[in-house]
Order: sequence, then structure tokens, then C-alpha cells
Amino acid sequence: MASDLVNITINGTPLQVPAGEMIIESARRIGVEIPHFCYHPRLSKEAGANCRMCLVEVASPRKNPDGSVTLAKMPKPQTSCSLPAGEGMVIETETPAIIEARRGILEFLLINHPLDCPICDRGGECPLQNNTLHYGPPTTRYVEEKRHLPKAFPLSEHVVLDRERCIHCARCTRFAEDIAGDAQLGFLKRGADMEVSVRTGEQFTSLFSGNTIELCPVGALLSRSYRFRGRPWDLMTQKSICTECSNGCNIKLDHRAGRFVRVNARLNEDVNEEWTCDRGKFGMDYLSGPDRLTTPLVRRGNRFEAVGWDEAIRRVAEELGQAGRKSAFLGGIRSSNEDLFVMQRLFREVLGSSDLDHRVGPSFDAEPVIGVGQGQVARAPMSLVELEGLSLFISFGCDMAWEQPMAYLRVRKGWRRGALTIASVARHGTAEDERPSSLAPISAVRVRHDEGGELQVALRLLGEVLRQGGDGTAVPAELAAKAESAVTEQGADAEAVRRLALTLFEAGKGASDGRSVAVWIGEAARTNRQLPDILQTLSAALSAAGVHGVVQVPAMEVNEQGARDLGIAPTWLPGYEQADPAGRNSAEILAAVAQGDIAALWISGLDLATRYSDPAAAVRALESCPFLVVTDLSLTKTAQMADVVLPVTSVAERNGTYTNVEGRVQRFWKAYDPPAGVRQEWRIAAQIAARLGTEIHYASSREVLADIAARVPLYAGCGPDALGDGGVRWASALAGEVGR
Amino acid sequence: MAANGHSGGGDRPMDTVSGRFSPEAVAELEEIVSHYPDRRGAMLPALWIAQREYGGSLPAEAIKEVAERLGCPPVEVEGVASFYTMYNLGRRGRRHLEVCTCLTCAVLGAADTLRALEEKLGIKVGQTTPDGEFSLAEVECLNWCEAGTVVQVGGRYFGNVTPDKVDALVEQIRQIQDTEAVTQADQIVKVQLARRHDGTADG
Repeated sequence: MASDLVNITINGTPLQVPAGEMIIESARRIGVEIPHFCYHPRLSKEAGANCRMCLVEVASPRKNPDGSVTLAKMPKPQTSCSLPAGEGMVIETETPAIIEARRGILEFLLINHPLDCPICDRGGECPLQNNTLHYGPPTTRYVEEKRHLPKAFPLSEHVVLDRERCIHCARCTRFAEDIAGDAQLGFLKRGADMEVSVRTGEQFTSLFSGNTIELCPVGALLSRSYRFRGRPWDLMTQKSICTECSNGCNIKLDHRAGRFVRVNARLNEDVNEEWTCDRGKFGMDYLSGPDRLTTPLVRRGNRFEAVGWDEAIRRVAEELGQAGRKSAFLGGIRSSNEDLFVMQRLFREVLGSSDLDHRVGPSFDAEPVIGVGQGQVARAPMSLVELEGLSLFISFGCDMAWEQPMAYLRVRKGWRRGALTIASVARHGTAEDERPSSLAPISAVRVRHDEGGELQVALRLLGEVLRQGGDGTAVPAELAAKAESAVTEQGADAEAVRRLALTLFEAGKGASDGRSVAVWIGEAARTNRQLPDILQTLSAALSAAGVHGVVQVPAMEVNEQGARDLGIAPTWLPGYEQADPAGRNSAEILAAVAQGDIAALWISGLDLATRYSDPAAAVRALESCPFLVVTDLSLTKTAQMADVVLPVTSVAERNGTYTNVEGRVQRFWKAYDPPAGVRQEWRIAAQIAARLGTEIHYASSREVLADIAARVPLYAGCGPDALGDGGVRWASALAGEVGR
Repeated sequence: MAANGHSGGGDRPMDTVSGRFSPEAVAELEEIVSHYPDRRGAMLPALWIAQREYGGSLPAEAIKEVAERLGCPPVEVEGVASFYTMYNLGRRGRRHLEVCTCLTCAVLGAADTLRALEEKLGIKVGQTTPDGEFSLAEVECLNWCEAGTVVQVGGRYFGNVTPDKVDALVEQIRQIQDTEAVTQADQIVKVQLARRHDGTADG
């Protein structure tokens, strides 16, 4: 709106900016860079303007008594990060006075700074170093003793603090409190003794602590795992995707001499903005782990023998060929879309088997998304951005910050804006009630139940909703009766469930369109296979009463969503086309293995022997499996039970795509060569198919993706040319939305 | 600012706070809080009350209790408490001697008096005697300059302290029952040790 714009002039260039925009931001619009340390566009301005680096000279129009208007220059330089743009302002950023002021500020900031850049990890990518070089004085006049404090004070498992280097910009404290919701950092003492710190005797346990390392404009907050491991100018950087959960954070993967070094966040406004979580930032050293497999292994008696690829592929092809329909596939939730697509072609087209399933361990058979409407789009998981705009978010047995870190940050963001109410349903004594990075303290409604009480809570909630005006016409009579009796039962959480039902209606009132409520079912609640049915009924009853919501079973592993979309499932094909005939699910496959009804089992990227909900049962089944082939990076417990182990490439060693929790297909790029003797999974599958007489020919990952886009309507908008750096949500592409 | 601007659990119901505030102290705090637009505004008086309720210092539990009662992060409370010198974060003696070494007292020999006190108590400034009885601190002006050197112990001022009176002073301090922190200046009891030999006025 034009009325909200004001005219200002920066360094002689006139421009229009929104009234109240900070001058530092206005200057960016015309490419004028104002040096700064404490200012950060995503952090609150509350404690800002304390580094004093962004000084500018300002003149504002002033009305004289005779009615004329003259420009009145402010007597002192102003901090442009805290100076809102006003009509007629004239700003100068490069006057002699400002150049002198910046030199003065830098001289001040450097008084106690140790200038130990040669041994500082931040050297080479340090805003303080860069700004000093550009704007600072060449020498110091300070001859007194600088302050000395212990180096590398351990703030947490991942972060060390060097207080000598700190310039007290408060970026880390503001991030921890505002963005992560873990107000664990603060300033203690005063004057020259002031220091950033955790509380005496405590630790910085936030699940997002690693972000402060990247936010720190000096070398005060450092990564313990990266400390002294490299110089920024010696590192190569590749665009990649974090593999530690389903959120698919865009990352910069730094590597040197063919080895992984560290992870930094890569900007993607729709996914992770510019954040990472500690699981991802510090969890990817497995890429250069000492236990990487570098050659195929074949079992001879009770030990493995390293063999060449020809022999390994011949052996697997023989066994799978003989098993034919009696072969099955489990896992794939860490494989790329290309791997999965070729793999399911191998099983379905070449072997004639429908026994594929990616859902093992804590994932039930539910539809991934229980939404309003029908058809493919109804299967679309909600977008991360969408979470911010909800009126009610219900975390159902979901440890959000741990399981869905970026979704957690979005929900928190919505809550901070004030329009989003949070409710959490969880067991008594769950992790998020104990540690920081939790939605529990900011939940308006908290329902706590005993172990296994999810179903009871869901039934009680259904009962309450029906009592309070939910539409019960579509609710089966038997279920309605159960729900009604659940409401009348005694229970400690009765009052909380009643309030949750009230909150649901409250949230539905305001929103006339689409999805205003979301329920995310987390790992803890996934053992109960009846839960989604009840929640679906609940969703229908609410929907009929005007409260529209989504019940979602969000993907948890890096490409769990891709495995869903591309039909690594017994009852649907790629794109959720119905599979005919339907195959068996993971539990049935394992039972069939134990009964000798499956002759060859392929497990991909999954340690079934430890991850399955009943590990002992999995071990028994695998022991009785006539032929087990495992594709993985290292020799897991499951791989140790295999007949053939095939080593595959990591995310850093190839091109490919993953689909994240919101159904966004995102590319990752090869950073360095794989170890000799390691192959891409889809190539292995294609080579086996070729040996069995069926050509599944692709020259590259790109060709596989192009074929997926051509054959799977769901992914039609996600071909290699459409993805760009930030990926495309298939649901948005189907709906014809651009750019998301 | 966002509607839900603060993340420290400010909505937490008061009845879940555990700590050492007496019902009277809670009532006192709530009365003070009612004068401020938000609860954290009452941070300084809340810390005074806490220091009194916790026997003269602010251990970690006191910081936590204040944080919970005001609905703000504990690290912020510790930041405020460590900013001001009159809150005691560390261990201190039951009788905390604060010796003024500001201008007037310094002119009147505060440095010698302080050294004599250190010798008498066997501790340095900032330390506590092994029996936990005495601790010693150097402070800025206590606003009783005509009676320098001034030593404050809880709610009492001792004026005209000189090195030769240190033995008597320590004995007198041993007899004090009330070692609570003072909250208001007008409650301070002023004790003149003796008229100065040069005949300057009595406090």
C-alpha cells in the first residue's frame, strides 16, 4: 500500500521503503552494505543496537516556526539497525565522520579481543576480521593488559565458548531465547567483566545450540567437533541435504581431500530458513566414519569374504531370480528417490513381487495423511510454512523438537506471533517435559497419560467432541458408544481433554477456509494401530461441524516421504496408485520369512535387528531367512546377518533427490568421489535386473528422476529441470502454485 | 512485540513454584509486582526478598525461585543478580562485613582498617572464614561519611572504625543476632564506636 511507503535518500539515491523499516534493511535494497555485528534480520531487535557498528548520519525534515521546512541533521551518528525509516530522511553511510566512528567502534571492540586469528577457527570467515580489514584502524593504541579468561569453556556437548573473543552482540542469547525457545544463555556480571554464559553449573542443552556457532560474528562460539580441524579457505563446499531426519534441511557440506568436515545451514526460506538442528549439524560425521564398507562382502560359513562386484551381483541376481515372487524388500527410508524408483521396478517388474514396505519399527500402516477431500492432493503432507499460520497445533505423542526440528521452529514462530495455540498429548515423564527445546511449556493444553493411554485419550476426545457439538452422523455406533463411555470414565486427564475439545471448536471458529488445525502423530503414539482410525473419525466429526484439520503421520527418516510417494509399500504403487495384487506389509513379510514363505529378503539402509519394534522377533526372522542381502554404508547388526552385503554411496558421494516431510523433492549434489568399490544403489538394482534379462537402463541419476517425473503424475512437476536449489513440493506443483 | 513474546513460561501457575519464600514474602512480592506492567519488572525487589528469605545470599535455588515467580528465564535473573554488587551470589558468612573504602573513608584510613580486619579475621576481601561466621567485602560509599571508616553488617552501620578498634568491633559483631540483609535504608541502625579523638561530631 502506497500510504505505508516513505521516501528516503541513502547516499544520494532516493528510494521508497515501508515506513518503520530499519535503515540498515533499506540500505540493502539499493546494495549499500552497512557493516554490523549484532543486527540479524531473523533475531529480535530487543537487545539490538549494542555493537554500535552500523552508525550512519541522518538528517530529517523539520518544520520551522515560519512554516518552511529544512533538513535538520541529528547531532550524533545513529545506529541504522534501530533507526526506523521516516518520510524525507536523508542518510549518509560513508561520510568522514562515519568512517572515523567505525574505526573508533572497532578499536573499542578490539580492546579486549585477543586477536588470535591465526589459531581461531573463525579466521577466514569472521565478520569481525572482515570488518576490521575493511573499516578498522590498522593498529591499536591499547597497550594495557587485555582480559584473560579460560579458552574453550565447554558450554555443551557440541559448543565451546571463548569469552576473550566475545564482543557481547547478544546474537546467541537472542537466538536461544526467541527462535529455539531455550533461554539458557545470558549475560552475567557487568562492565569489563561482562560475559556471555549459561547459568552457573549448567549446560547449553538446547537441541539447536549449533546455530549459535554460525550466528556468532566472532570466534567466541565454536564447534567442538570442528575445532582445529580446518581453515575455511582449505574447505570445499557442496550443496546438500541433511540426512538426519525427514525435514530435509538444506545444508552446505564442507569437505576436504575427499572427507566430510562439517555442516553449515544453507538458506531455504520454505524449509529451514537458515537454521539447522544439532542432530543434523553434529550427526553427519558418519559420512567419514571409520566403519564405512568399501567392498561387497559374501558370507562363507560364519565369516565374510570380500569379493568383486561382478561376483556379488551374480550371486544376488541368482538368488533373487530363483526366489522370484518369493522375494521381498524392506526399508529404503534412507535411499534416494532414484534408488527407490529403480528398486521398486526391480521387485515389481522383474521379480513380480509386491512385498515391499518401508514402514518398519515405529510406523503403523496408517495413511500418511488423513485429510479433507479425496484424491492425490489429499495425501499431500502439509507444508512447513503452513504450520506457522495454523490456529491450533496438536502434538500427539510427538517429541517435536527432536523428531521434527524445523516443524518445531515453525510452530514456535506461529505461537510467538500470537495466533497459534499449541496443545500437547504425551505420556507422563516424556523427554520434552524434562529438557529444553520443547513445546510443553508453551502449550495451552497439556494432556498427560500413562503408557499405552493414547487410545483412551483419543476416544475420550472423540466423546467430548461429540458431546460439545461435533457431528456424529458418520461415526459408527460402536465407536460412538465406546467414546461416550470413555468420557464418563475416571481419569486424571479428563479436564485437560475437555479443554482440548473446547480449544478445537474455538480454533475452528475463526478459520473459514481449509486447514486451521493440525494433529501430528509422533513416534511414541505410532505403536497403536487403532489410533489413526479414531482420529480420522474425529477429524470427520469436526469437519462436519466446520472445524477443518489435518491428521498427519509425518515422515521421520530422511526419505521416508519419498518411499511413501514412490510406492515402497504393499498396497500402493508410485504416486499412490492402488497395487494389484496387494503385497504384504513389514510384519507379514517377517512372519512369512520365519515360515519359509519368502526365499530372499533385501533390506536397504535400515538396521532392522535393532530398529524393529520387536528386535528379537526381527533377529529370529532374519536368522531363518534363506537369503538376505543388505545394502548399507557400514556393517550394522542386520548387515552382519546377511548373506551378501553391498556397500553403497553416501549423500556426499553422488547426485540425487530426497523428498522431505512436506513432500518437497530436493536435490543434493556429489561433493567428492566415493571410496573405490562402492556403488549407487539404483545402479546395483539396474545391474541385477540386467542380469535377470530385463534392461532398466539409465545413464545417470538425472535420467532416473526425469523418468520418475514422466511416469509418476504426482512427481510431474518435480523433474530435474524444475527443482533448482530449493526443491519443489509436489503438492504445490500439482496445484499449479509457482515457487513453492 | 509478539503476543506470546516471552518464552520462559510466564503463564506458569503460581502454585507450582517451590522454594523458600514464606507466605508473607510471597504476599509482599505480589504486592510489589502489582505496581509493574509485567512481572519481570519487579526483578530487583524480588531479588532483595529472595536474598532475605535465603539467609543473606542468592544460591542457585533462589535464582530459580525468583525466575519461576516472575516468569522469566533463570539465566536472566542470574544476569541481573550478578550485575549488581549488593546481591550476594557466592557463599558468604553469617556476618557479612562490608567495609567502605570510598573517598572519605579512604582519607580517614580505610585501607589500614581493612588490612587490620583481614588480619583479625584471617581472611582476604571476598573470602569467608572457615567456620562460616564472617565474610569480608569492600564496598563503595555507604553515605555516612562523617563517621568514616564505616563498616556495614546487615542492618547496622558501625562508624569511626580504626585499626585499633577492630578487636572490639569484631566482638560486638559476634553478639549481633540480626544478620539479615537490609531492604530499606531507613531501617539501618547506626552504631558509633566512639567519638573521634579529634572531636568531630557524633553521627
